[in-house]
Amino acid sequence: MQLPGGGDAHASPIDRGVARAHVLLPDQGPIGVFVHHNTLHALQHLPFHAAVQQGAALVGARAYLPLEEFRRHFETGRIEADDLHRALDAALGDTAATPVALGLTRRDLWWTLLRHDIDVDDVAGLGFLRQHGPRAHEAMLRAAEARLVGHLRPARPVPLPVRHRDALVALGAGDTDVAVHAELIRLSAVFLDHGQALQAMPARSRGFLGAVAYLFEAGSPEPTSCPGVRDDIRQAVAAGMTSRAVIDAALLALGVDEASVESYVLATALALPGWAGMFSRLERHPHEHVADGRALLEDFLAVRLAHERRAIEASARAAGLPVAWPALRALADAPTTSSLPLDAWLLAGLAREGGRSEADVAAMADESLDALWREVDACSRVARQQVWQEAFEGRYRRQVLDGLAHMRAATVDTTPDATRPDAQFLFCIDEREESLRRAIDEQPGHHDTFGVAGFFGLAIDFQGLDDRSPAAYCPVVVTPQHEVHEAPVYTDRGWQAVRAGLRVRWQASGRGLHRRSRTLSGGAGLSLLIGPLAAATAIARVLAPRWSLAWRDRVQQRLVPRPATRLSPLHVGELGGTTSSRGKQVGFALDEAADRVCAVLQSIGLVHNLARVIVVLGHGSTSLNNPHESAHDCGACGGRRGGANARLFAEMANRLEIRAAVRARGIDIPADVWFVGALHDTADDSIVYADLEHLPATHAADFDAARAMLERARGVSAAERARRFDDAPLGLSPTQALQHVQARAAHMAQPRPEYGHCTNASCVVGRRTLTRGLHLDRRAFLVSYDPTVDRDDRILERILAAVGPVGAGISLEYFFSSVDNERYGCGTKLPHNVTGLIGVMAGHQSDLRTGLPLQMVELHEPMRLLLVVEATPESLLAVASRQPEVCELVVKEWVQLVSVHPQTGAMMHFANGGFVPYVPSPTPIPRVQHSVDWHGRTRVPVAPALVLGAIPAPGVVASMAPDSTLVPVA
Amino acid sequence: MLAPLTSALGIGVALLARGNWLGEDTVERVIRVGLIASLLAALAATMGALGLLGAPVRGEIDYGSWLVVGRYEIPLVLVADPLSIAFSVLAAALTALVGRFSRTYLHKEPGFARFFVLLGLFAGGTQLVAYAGALDLFFAGWELIGISSALFIGFFHEREMPARSAVRAFATYRLCDVGLLLGTVSVHEWLGSTRFSALEGVATLSPLAVTALGGMFLLSAMGKSAQLPFSGWLPRAMEGPTPSSALFYGAVSVHAGLYLLLRVEPVIAAAPVAAALGGFVGIATAIYATMVARTHPDAKGALAHATLAQIGLILAEISMGLTTLALVHLVCHAMLRAWQFLRAPNMIHDAHTFGHHAVHRSTDGVGSVTLRDRLFAVALHRLRLDERLDAAVDPVLALSRGLSTMERRVRGVLSVRQDA
Repeated sequence: MQLPGGGDAHASPIDRGVARAHVLLPDQGPIGVFVHHNTLHALQHLPFHAAVQQGAALVGARAYLPLEEFRRHFETGRIEADDLHRALDAALGDTAATPVALGLTRRDLWWTLLRHDIDVDDVAGLGFLRQHGPRAHEAMLRAAEARLVGHLRPARPVPLPVRHRDALVALGAGDTDVAVHAELIRLSAVFLDHGQALQAMPARSRGFLGAVAYLFEAGSPEPTSCPGVRDDIRQAVAAGMTSRAVIDAALLALGVDEASVESYVLATALALPGWAGMFSRLERHPHEHVADGRALLEDFLAVRLAHERRAIEASARAAGLPVAWPALRALADAPTTSSLPLDAWLLAGLAREGGRSEADVAAMADESLDALWREVDACSRVARQQVWQEAFEGRYRRQVLDGLAHMRAATVDTTPDATRPDAQFLFCIDEREESLRRAIDEQPGHHDTFGVAGFFGLAIDFQGLDDRSPAAYCPVVVTPQHEVHEAPVYTDRGWQAVRAGLRVRWQASGRGLHRRSRTLSGGAGLSLLIGPLAAATAIARVLAPRWSLAWRDRVQQRLVPRPATRLSPLHVGELGGTTSSRGKQVGFALDEAADRVCAVLQSIGLVHNLARVIVVLGHGSTSLNNPHESAHDCGACGGRRGGANARLFAEMANRLEIRAAVRARGIDIPADVWFVGALHDTADDSIVYADLEHLPATHAADFDAARAMLERARGVSAAERARRFDDAPLGLSPTQALQHVQARAAHMAQPRPEYGHCTNASCVVGRRTLTRGLHLDRRAFLVSYDPTVDRDDRILERILAAVGPVGAGISLEYFFSSVDNERYGCGTKLPHNVTGLIGVMAGHQSDLRTGLPLQMVELHEPMRLLLVVEATPESLLAVASRQPEVCELVVKEWVQLVSVHPQTGAMMHFANGGFVPYVPSPTPIPRVQHSVDWHGRTRVPVAPALVLGAIPAPGVVASMAPDSTLVPVA
Repeated sequence: MLAPLTSALGIGVALLARGNWLGEDTVERVIRVGLIASLLAALAATMGALGLLGAPVRGEIDYGSWLVVGRYEIPLVLVADPLSIAFSVLAAALTALVGRFSRTYLHKEPGFARFFVLLGLFAGGTQLVAYAGALDLFFAGWELIGISSALFIGFFHEREMPARSAVRAFATYRLCDVGLLLGTVSVHEWLGSTRFSALEGVATLSPLAVTALGGMFLLSAMGKSAQLPFSGWLPRAMEGPTPSSALFYGAVSVHAGLYLLLRVEPVIAAAPVAAALGGFVGIATAIYATMVARTHPDAKGALAHATLAQIGLILAEISMGLTTLALVHLVCHAMLRAWQFLRAPNMIHDAHTFGHHAVHRSTDGVGSVTLRDRLFAVALHRLRLDERLDAAVDPVLALSRGLSTMERRVRGVLSVRQDA
């Protein structure tokens, strides 16, 4: 039987523990390619709230933002009283009005506990507060204390220790994890090293346990805190014991009873989650492990337990404690301390906030006290956080849905412009492109923007001109069947051969410099040779980052220019050379290419009225000194840059033979349409176009116009981005803003080259008319989908199957990393130390830190993705029934799904297993002429507003004067 | 000439400023002014010494006495010679550079003000060390470097490891500072003055005394420059923010021990035993650190040991009397490492640009154990130096714990008597 969360009921307890560890450990691969995923993916089969609470308890993290944080959001107006009331009513249901005690209803009690910090668990802090703080409520406190003597709140269950180390620490003995982790970190780091150390660990091919035994064999001194481990491991390996047997032996020696084995093994694996997780990840994805030696979680656990056992024995012996687990655990059941001050503080607080007097408290019957404590227990910290979380999400949801409703009301009577657009732009769905699209819309002229997953339907293994091997440029769940290579054009082949040779030499010298500067003689020689040069470089790169980088690039381009290249879109089987060395087909067959072009155009609804110039923009991000650089790249391209996909798409759509095949499939791409691929860098907001040398002369003017539009838009968008950076002054002009973001991306010292997906909160799937003219503050993924083109929901299904998991993955990774940045995220970047090319440690020796760094999530408002789809509830249900992952995300409420009826615009919100209608607020949303009028003067998130300048119907704009008196309200 | 005083002033203002919360800009601006003033002053000193500003200003410059107690005098004397100027310009320039780097790097960090105050403190300390004309003054700067270094290691004090590592570094410093302190007092007793210029007179002392002096200064330098057996704190010092690691453990602070030895060069030259010991320690450290640097797969740990190896080498050069080479080596090395540390987070990026090490396969461990593997096995755990050092310190700790218990008991008995 397959248990949820892993494990087979009939397997041995160790197996079950290991299996559960595999699913619960962080599932982050080597950091070079960072893919966003749901941090608690293992619990995705559970309803959202249950999962975050269980997960938090398992790994010792926070489930939601701390209460203080929510209360701060309340003070600053990010959550309003109305939101909290709604969330509370929803949580309590019909029993809200049930009286509990002191004449207070459940609702009164919960409200008080939500708003006020009276349920504390810090006796010492409270004592200090009472001694030194204001003594305003002393009488009430005394009354509460007097009443509570002899009738305390029942003790709450204290979590029991699950490992020896917890019990030893609780009993005041030495912390065995300090020494054991120091050993494990060093050993794991060298075993998993992907090529950073100058010398590799010997004997890695024997596996972790074997390699560690070999080190001992080679004379590695034994850690003094684990006496005996050296012989244990050497003998075990010499006797041919498997890792399983070593684990068994250690558990036996530690006296772990059969019933506790599973949880013990799990807790042991979770004690150093980053490193254990990397073993587990590489065990399950061996192709990601480029070093020799198989990484196996069981090996890691065997080495760990072998060390831990000896450390525990030593520590217990020194403290005079038993080693056998049941005996030690029994000792560690610490008696709970008196909670009278805490309980009295709580009771007094409740009475005070409820407007009761001391006499009311004194007169409380025992039964009503009991009832009160029961209710307070039910209104636990985490239950309150859940209510706050719902209120937080509810507020944003209503803002967006109201925005959409008013947007529709404002434009419903306009007829779409049937003339041919001047230009069209295809962007990735990424929320970072929202401001760029809005900036295009705000420019005069007739043009459209579309959003489609940034791999443009082309799942490829791509090898760029300078890449050593192809890599997958597509969502991680897809395995590409096609390979595409970038090759120099015929006339540049000779130069490329020279350049490639130079490049190899340059790379070798770069590696040599790195390596030799770390050796004894090389370090001395290179110090004298390049020390002053290094200083000069450092000064240039730190004092003038933008200028020095540009200068370097210019020199490079002058001396060794990049040759002109072409992609290989079409499979040329008839000419030979059909498959790559890895056995994949190089290029697409004609039919495959046509299918893909067709699919993208259909999915965004671009099936008629194509403009003469269509720009296809992939995106990526460039920054320096940033181990997490890849996390800013395109998620739909598997954490890589989407420029190749955009270029390939344009190339395919321009080919006459493919167009003919596309026409046969029902989409007519007129002969005078030209596609241009481009790459938008989200860090420095540059846009680089591909294959412009093939642009027909007839289209030069059209393209110039489109390009000018993008040039203006990227400046405006950069200025909008810059308002979120505290070190950029407010109100930068587009030119200044571009310079600012370029300097950020070029700066070695910049921990925030961009804020990435920090602002993500929602996703709108539908026609652009739904959102065009709505200021969504770079918070919304925008997916183009035309329900009128999609007759059987197949397109919708394809979109949701891709966008649901990717969007939810990004949103949830940010959710968890910002809810508990130390446990789910990787903490502040400042002390990060790149290790083994696979990840970062904090400082010189720590757990491998997974998740997102503080600097990436500090502005994030953790909430579940609000997924708004322009489709009927019936269509959505039909799609969900065919797509289990989408179904899981929706039904278990990992995303908030809202259906917008394509014809009527009626909205239905999916909650508690069914769709409920949403009635928009009649209060009109703010209107401004330009986006900058709305966001220009503030750094905080802004609510949706109508941007009249972006709405393409002159008649409507005239009738709607901008409301200039409005101040942005978040 | 006013460089140390100017930057000290900068620190003073910043320290005052810390009382009430100031914005990042203000704190950074104050310190920046201090750092740039210090850099300009160092450059001015260079020009002064070269005679570009009129008559050359070289040798000792007296500002009177700092403190006079009986016949003990702490002279307020600065020294301007090629050595002090080279070190001062290097330190001032790198500190200013790191200051600029950190303004961006530490933006929005809660400890921003603390970082910059410590940076100012450190800058003042190094300038004092550079220009001090007497051992007492030198010691004051030395301590400023020590305390700011320990506080930088413990910068992220909310985590346990940084706090532990900071304590370890600080304890090592304190232990080794005993050498400098004893040396200062001895010089004063034996030579009548703590001025560096008075050290020329060591030739008149008995060989034993000179060796003892040399040993004391060497001990002090070994602690600050993390030479064996005090090397354990250096890798642990990588707990702080990247720029502080660059400035302290790549560039300036670890080289301060060497500067001390260059300063007291007459003593080392006159004490062949101490010099031989220094040479031995230096070479041993260089070999040890090179071995360790090869095995470490983390960017900062490997760099720290690569740095340490060069410092061992420079120590050996000093011991052999190659002081000019040592100074040039020191300055060039500090510049190289500062840059390498600053770009340590770029490791992933570099691996993409330059490719992985072409062959990174381990030996298969079949057959007899090779020497290479043996070296790896001991170097990975850094010879367990820390544990051994702890074991050596343990009896002392036990003794002091015992003494403290005894004291409490005695106090208990006494106070009972009083009560009676």
